Amino acid sequence: MAEGSLLSDELLRHLMAVGQVDVLVGVPTLNNASTIGGVVNAVHQAFGKYFPRDRTVLINSDGGSVDGTQDVIRGRSQDQTETVTVSHALRTTHSISTPYHGVPGKGSALRQIMTAADLAQAKAVAVLDADVASATPEWVASLVQPVRNQQFDYVAPIYSRHPLDSPLITQLVRPLFRAASGWQVREPLAAEFGCSNRFLAHCLEQNVWDNELARYGIDLWLTATALYGGFRCCQTMVGPRVAAAAPGRPGFREVFQQVVGSVFLLLEQQASSWVTRVGSEQIPIAGPAADGKGDGQAPGVSRLGSTFRDDLRNLESVLRAILGEGTLRELNAIAEAGVEEIRYPDALWVRTVYEFMGAFHRGVMRREHVTQALIPLYLGRTGSFLVEQSSRNPAEVEGALEALCVEFERAKPSLVQYWNQAT
Amino acid sequence: MAQMIADAVSQATRNFVDSLAIFLPKLVTTISIIVVGWLIAIVLRTAVRTVLRWLSFNAWAERSGVASLLKSAGLPVADVAVGAMVFWLVFLGFLLSGIDVLGFPALQGLLAGFAAFVPRLLVALVILIVAFVVANFAWRATLLAAVNARIPSPRLLSGAVRWLILILAGAMALEQIAVARTVVLTALAIAFGAVMLGIAIAFGLGGRGIARRILEHQFPERERSGVDEISHL
Amino acid sequence: MNGAANGSADPDLLWYRDAVIYQLHVKTFADSNSDGIGDFKGLTGKLDYLRDLGVDCLWLMPMYPSPFRDDGYDIADYYSIHPSYGTLDDFREFLDAAHARRLRVVTELVLNHTSDQHAWFKQARSARDDPRRDWYVWSDTDDRYSGVRIIFLDTERSNWAWDPQSKAYYWHRFFHHQPDLNYDNPAVREEMWKVMSFWLELGVDGFRVDAVPYLIEREGTSCENLPETHAVIRWLRSQLDAHFPGRMLLAEANQPPELVRPYFGEGDEFHMAFHFPLMTRMFMAVRLEDRKPLVDVVERTPEIPATCQWGIFLRNHDELTLEMVTEIEREFMYEEYARDPVSRLNLGIRRRLAPLLEGDRRRIELMNGIVMSMPGSPIIYYGDEIGMGDNIYLGDRNGVRTPMQWTGGWNAGFSTADPERLAQPLISNPLFGYQAVNVESQLRADHTLLNWMRRLVSVRKSSHVFSRGSTTFLKPANHRVLAYLRTLGKEQVLVVCNLSSSAQAVELDLRSLAGALPIEMFGKSMFPRIGELPYILTLGPYDFFWFRLRRV
Repeated sequence: MAEGSLLSDELLRHLMAVGQVDVLVGVPTLNNASTIGGVVNAVHQAFGKYFPRDRTVLINSDGGSVDGTQDVIRGRSQDQTETVTVSHALRTTHSISTPYHGVPGKGSALRQIMTAADLAQAKAVAVLDADVASATPEWVASLVQPVRNQQFDYVAPIYSRHPLDSPLITQLVRPLFRAASGWQVREPLAAEFGCSNRFLAHCLEQNVWDNELARYGIDLWLTATALYGGFRCCQTMVGPRVAAAAPGRPGFREVFQQVVGSVFLLLEQQASSWVTRVGSEQIPIAGPAADGKGDGQAPGVSRLGSTFRDDLRNLESVLRAILGEGTLRELNAIAEAGVEEIRYPDALWVRTVYEFMGAFHRGVMRREHVTQALIPLYLGRTGSFLVEQSSRNPAEVEGALEALCVEFERAKPSLVQYWNQAT
Repeated sequence: MAQMIADAVSQATRNFVDSLAIFLPKLVTTISIIVVGWLIAIVLRTAVRTVLRWLSFNAWAERSGVASLLKSAGLPVADVAVGAMVFWLVFLGFLLSGIDVLGFPALQGLLAGFAAFVPRLLVALVILIVAFVVANFAWRATLLAAVNARIPSPRLLSGAVRWLILILAGAMALEQIAVARTVVLTALAIAFGAVMLGIAIAFGLGGRGIARRILEHQFPERERSGVDEISHL
Repeated sequence: MNGAANGSADPDLLWYRDAVIYQLHVKTFADSNSDGIGDFKGLTGKLDYLRDLGVDCLWLMPMYPSPFRDDGYDIADYYSIHPSYGTLDDFREFLDAAHARRLRVVTELVLNHTSDQHAWFKQARSARDDPRRDWYVWSDTDDRYSGVRIIFLDTERSNWAWDPQSKAYYWHRFFHHQPDLNYDNPAVREEMWKVMSFWLELGVDGFRVDAVPYLIEREGTSCENLPETHAVIRWLRSQLDAHFPGRMLLAEANQPPELVRPYFGEGDEFHMAFHFPLMTRMFMAVRLEDRKPLVDVVERTPEIPATCQWGIFLRNHDELTLEMVTEIEREFMYEEYARDPVSRLNLGIRRRLAPLLEGDRRRIELMNGIVMSMPGSPIIYYGDEIGMGDNIYLGDRNGVRTPMQWTGGWNAGFSTADPERLAQPLISNPLFGYQAVNVESQLRADHTLLNWMRRLVSVRKSSHVFSRGSTTFLKPANHRVLAYLRTLGKEQVLVVCNLSSSAQAVELDLRSLAGALPIEMFGKSMFPRIGELPYILTLGPYDFFWFRLRRV
């Protein structure tokens, strides 16, 4: 391999053989042998069914799997997908599996896929996560077609799911990102996306790839880059997302820290783009519109118990450094008010998040500690919301989530204030 | 007799004048060294403060907890404090070397003692500061981890961690400046032993629950809290 | 029965396996008597041209008397020559002149149907009890064989047509003026053998048998490829082998190769059959810049008996058929090759080779290079050797049957008649018109398509490996490169084609051939000796190489 090259000689040889392509699907993997087969099948079926005339390639960028993930992909060579004659691709379909080099993490995998796509002059690129058990050929189609047919540059998926599901997204990431950035993205953290050649060339020029965001925050960074960069963005329905349970997956606390840390970090790095924005804009939906109800089941919720109050007491000395006095007092008040069932109102939650973001930015303590200190509050808020909404129908819950977003937007001036205090 | 007295006086006068002639330049030198030292110390203080401010040292101090330590001790903010320290160290150095020029043997002894003591003092100081930062960090890390992992009595646990580090560092600092070494060592050994014994007993008697929970956390069957059961992402 | 089926008996009996065939229409080839219609005297005068082109065999399209409602495929008399083309004596003269130049002659034999102007049909419809009545397929209703597809979708609505004279329906698989003969009637079979014997006696070397799959009808079937049809063919073949060894039968069965395979039987039915899907897939592959469709179809093609051969071609007198492809493939072909809806006919594209390839010399050469190196006997459609154009506005398939362009002068040298009298109007557009594209001008320069085609045919004929060798695809990772190895005994030829419009590099795994020295067959230049490492070649746009692999 040439010094400093992102692509190995072997990969370059493969790309030379593949040549120019119309549709490139990238799948980053790390020990996904159990699920990768399904994803690869879905991709090949999509090639045959939706892009029979296009030049297609599947590129797997592997972070050093030891469970035979790469063998699964290599095993599915170009000729083995000839199962359905009606939806048979006219052209040779290539599958490439290659290890990536550099900083471990999704960022390096994406960088390799994008560099390959740039070399192959792919007109449209879709990236799928290897652990999605529910990926179908339609996923690929929905992510690629807006780029191929409607000249969109970036396509974010909308997963259909129950509005009470994924509270980390609905309570924190989505409203915060919406209020801060001014864009109404349903899934700012989606691991899947579609994009154009123009967009990926722009991304490759940015210096995010060796940055700490590349490791856990690259999905969010891509969304933000597409929006701030003035690219044509849209969203598209893909169906329910079921991630396969895999051993060795990080636990909730680690995930929380990665996610919230990335969101805060990203907003900090791109502060100049959003601080002055007011309100928020919708992003068009390509293809059939979201029904808003979502499939999936409402998660069952048991009572929170008194952990919230205990946590508050235990963390008081830490929280004091982060939160304003008034906020801390109100938190204590709600903790005392309902021992069995706390009521954590929207406005207080928004203030909590903004003060945490300010503290993160000011650097009142190590940044991991700021995000860790948010966990008990997030759990309290989530528990409060779930209990409150569990008896309502999905449309009503959706309304409550929208109200939360609006509250985040309304209080944005205070965030800007915390922000400017620090700088 | 008178002549002798006159001679003695004139001799004394001459001697005095002679020693004055010898001493006065020394004094002038001493004073000028002290003045120059004072000026240099002021310049250095300003320089250090500027550099620290440029490195946003205060933010670091706040993050590491040093700032709150200074505040509670009634000292100025971090960069001012460091600047003052640099000022006094440099000024004292010049002061002493200025006095050295005068050549008083008693003062020279004191000077030698001071010169030997300053580095130790500095090392001890550094140990204390580092220890304080580390202890503070470890305390917060333990507290947050314990709270989030649902380990009972997180404050006790994290406090113990913090004080252990501080005590250890205190002992090391005292060791450095070698003040009443034996007494200090003995006292610390007793204190340390007591804490360890206390922890051992606490774990033995009351810690079965904690141990069980720690194990449960390591090999979770199902997470405990209701909110933990849902998929957050 | 057969000396012919035994390959070792007399190699000359198997001449068709190594032949390069030239397909022409007497009507539009050369006119000797200024009536605007080509004739056998005119054709005889052009035989030297055909010999110089290097072909071995001429396939003449129907020259029988006919009302010409299907360009002669509606035969009105099997025993004579259409008066416009000359007399039987003219034909004999032509045959002798061709044989003297070692050119064999294959004529058309339409077994399935006659014209409704044929005496047999006139008699059959005259009365329900006429002895000839049973020579055709009659019915009182039009709902028999209801599951059978209609071939000429654009013009016919049913396979049954009403005969007002005898008040009954008659069966026709093609146009309604082409009633199907009834091969369940032994008298029809005997008569057809008589027809064949008549022409074989004259010296004809074989027949191209039209519309083979449809001879017999049975209720509840598709009425195509029935076992009874095969029985008729086997009987005709046994008669042929018994009386005229060394003559050849070529089947026209527009079917996928696995369905055509039965027409070779055990070497006891047809000697040759057309490979229709190969033709379609060649066009598809070049347009897709991907070898997949071509490799697929060749690998799907079953083995055929040693005495048999595929007839392979780029274009013929019919539309470029898209019957045997999937919906997606057809859509692709239409969009890429027939943007103009006028050029679409039935399920196909009525265009000649050069206009299909937009006159791109490099692609024309590539396509010819592929078809000349594939297993089978290649067929050149008249005019394609000089890159003639077409006229899609002439209706039906007449647009690809315009007069041969001999010179840039009067009527393209085809006829001295008034232009208005010509059987078909000439192509006269600036790109493909006879002033620009004609034999005379192409003979004057060395680098013209015609001279290039002559070289191609001669290189092709320099070795039997192309006609008889086995074929192995190499499948390098670069799908734009088509590479295959033809092997016959010790002789080996490596063909490498760049199907794309851009330069390509390819790494071939030739370890099994290590030590061989590739010699490019057109320029005889040596290439680096093959070793253990991947063999790297670079090819310009639509480039192709034929390497003879020598061991030295």
